[in-house]
Amino acid sequence: MSATTLDHATAARAAADRTAAIGAILRAGLILIVCLLVLFPVYWMTLNAIQPGSISLTWPPALLPRGFEWSNFARLFDDKPIGEWLLKSSYVAAVVVIVTLIVVIPAAYAMSRLRWHGRYLLGLFLLFTQIMPGAMIVAPELTLFRAFGWTDNLTMLALLHAAMVVPLCTWILKASFDAIPRELVEAGLVDGCNHWQTLLWVVLPLTRPGLVAVSVVAFFFSWNEYLFSSALITRSGLYTGSLGLATLITQLDTPLFVLMAAGVVFSVLPILFYLAIQRHILRGLTAGAVKG
Amino acid sequence: MTISAATATTADAAGSSGRRKWRDSGTAAIAYWLILPLLVLEGVFLVYAIIRGIGASVEGPDGSFNLDNYRQMLADPDFWRIMGRTLVFTVIVDVIILAAGLAVALLMNWQFRGRAAVRGLLTIPWAIPEVPVAITFIFMIDPTFGVFNLLARLLPGVTENPQWTLDPTLAMAIVILVTVWKGFPFYSLVLLSALQAVPEELYEAARLDGAGRLRQFFHITLPGIRPSIALLAVLAFIYSMQQFTLIWLITGGGPVDATMTLAPAIYMQAFRFYNFSYASAMAVVGLAFAAIATLAFIAVQRRLNNEPT
Repeated sequence: MSATTLDHATAARAAADRTAAIGAILRAGLILIVCLLVLFPVYWMTLNAIQPGSISLTWPPALLPRGFEWSNFARLFDDKPIGEWLLKSSYVAAVVVIVTLIVVIPAAYAMSRLRWHGRYLLGLFLLFTQIMPGAMIVAPELTLFRAFGWTDNLTMLALLHAAMVVPLCTWILKASFDAIPRELVEAGLVDGCNHWQTLLWVVLPLTRPGLVAVSVVAFFFSWNEYLFSSALITRSGLYTGSLGLATLITQLDTPLFVLMAAGVVFSVLPILFYLAIQRHILRGLTAGAVKG
Repeated sequence: MTISAATATTADAAGSSGRRKWRDSGTAAIAYWLILPLLVLEGVFLVYAIIRGIGASVEGPDGSFNLDNYRQMLADPDFWRIMGRTLVFTVIVDVIILAAGLAVALLMNWQFRGRAAVRGLLTIPWAIPEVPVAITFIFMIDPTFGVFNLLARLLPGVTENPQWTLDPTLAMAIVILVTVWKGFPFYSLVLLSALQAVPEELYEAARLDGAGRLRQFFHITLPGIRPSIALLAVLAFIYSMQQFTLIWLITGGGPVDATMTLAPAIYMQAFRFYNFSYASAMAVVGLAFAAIATLAFIAVQRRLNNEPT
């Protein structure tokens, strides 16, 4: 009697273990399939950048690599001024990040910690500009840039990028300032710091994730931006990565592997950046996007 | 700076008492100095452009005030077709991006080894700039060599490679697919953090009551993340409405305007037909939608804050 119940118990446990194991395998399989589906375009871009063009241009396409041709990248850098484009993109993005930080840090502090007339109104304005599609103002922006002779000027383009990304960044940083306990700020003020000093010595050191998130969002926006760059920069000597790559699409003589290699080169920096600090971004962004 | 040690304990106290916002009422003047750089930057580069754009939309060719652009626009069947297409595009992207975002968020929420790595990998599309994304998909749908043709050939009755960008429905489907692929990781990440905020005790209680996985999902998970979904639905509407680069580079709005939503249509009017004032009138419509979306966003967020959690 007791022996049979024991048998039943072990049998039941074995069955449970088996279902758990099957569940784990199914789960792993599902994760693998989703990863493959999501990453396939990335794989395809990379694959066709590093294999000989003659293999890429066959039907039916081969799904697995059949050969490597690292010289594609050499040809990319020889034939196309991609180094120049990347430098221009880096310059614009660097200016955007610096200007954004300078503008956003005091503004987010004022939005989060001070009471003043027009605070709510400014919040509304920031939300509105963030929601407004860029295409709505690209024509008047061109009129403005022409009136002041700012077209074909990368620094002015960077300032425009900063103006476009500042609203979102202000929200993100305000959320992380909000999370700092009021007693910390109060103590700073009681100790005789003024608001600038409190901001510099108390608030900023506590919001490194917020600052990282803001810098990365500003960098991404600028590195990515195509619409305004294409309207405001016309001299090919000033092309950024986005502009240069987009012209490669329309230049029919650009070999496919050069296009793909250019795409890979232009994407490497943001991807590495993103993977290195994705934890910070997650924290900073979700602070801005969801509450509670 | 001796405050750090002294405040460490008060920080703990504040943490347990919940975070109240702290404001200093006596120093309004310094606030205006703090926001001055922002006001200058936004004033020069955005406010001026917005006002200038609205002004251009009500300006006749002779510089006088008139509403001809609006009259012409509202009477133009093309304009209504663009609005209809924009609606279709935004609604479909909205639904698919939320569904895909939620599915991937649920997957990333599982406990397994290498979870952090999978989360990083699955959100890579978000980090790739739009122009390389467009380049890659243009090649993938190439009618001669594109890898998408392999998939299409699997369908019964398809013996030739489809002309992806020459067929109106296919072109729209591709543009939607690419927009979703590029954008969904953000929604997954936000939903993931919402999922992790659902209290574990609720699931334990449900398990004790004998509720299965599906019932747990519909009765605990979904209600728990509903506020985040509402907020993300507004954000997805904005994201799809703003979409310009991917559409422009992949289909150029074609074939025969089949993928011409409001954003590329405005660009087309302004920079291909040089109808600046007409483009401005269309842009004002877009601004109005942005204003409505702003109000919707605030309404959703306010309800979210008032809701007991």
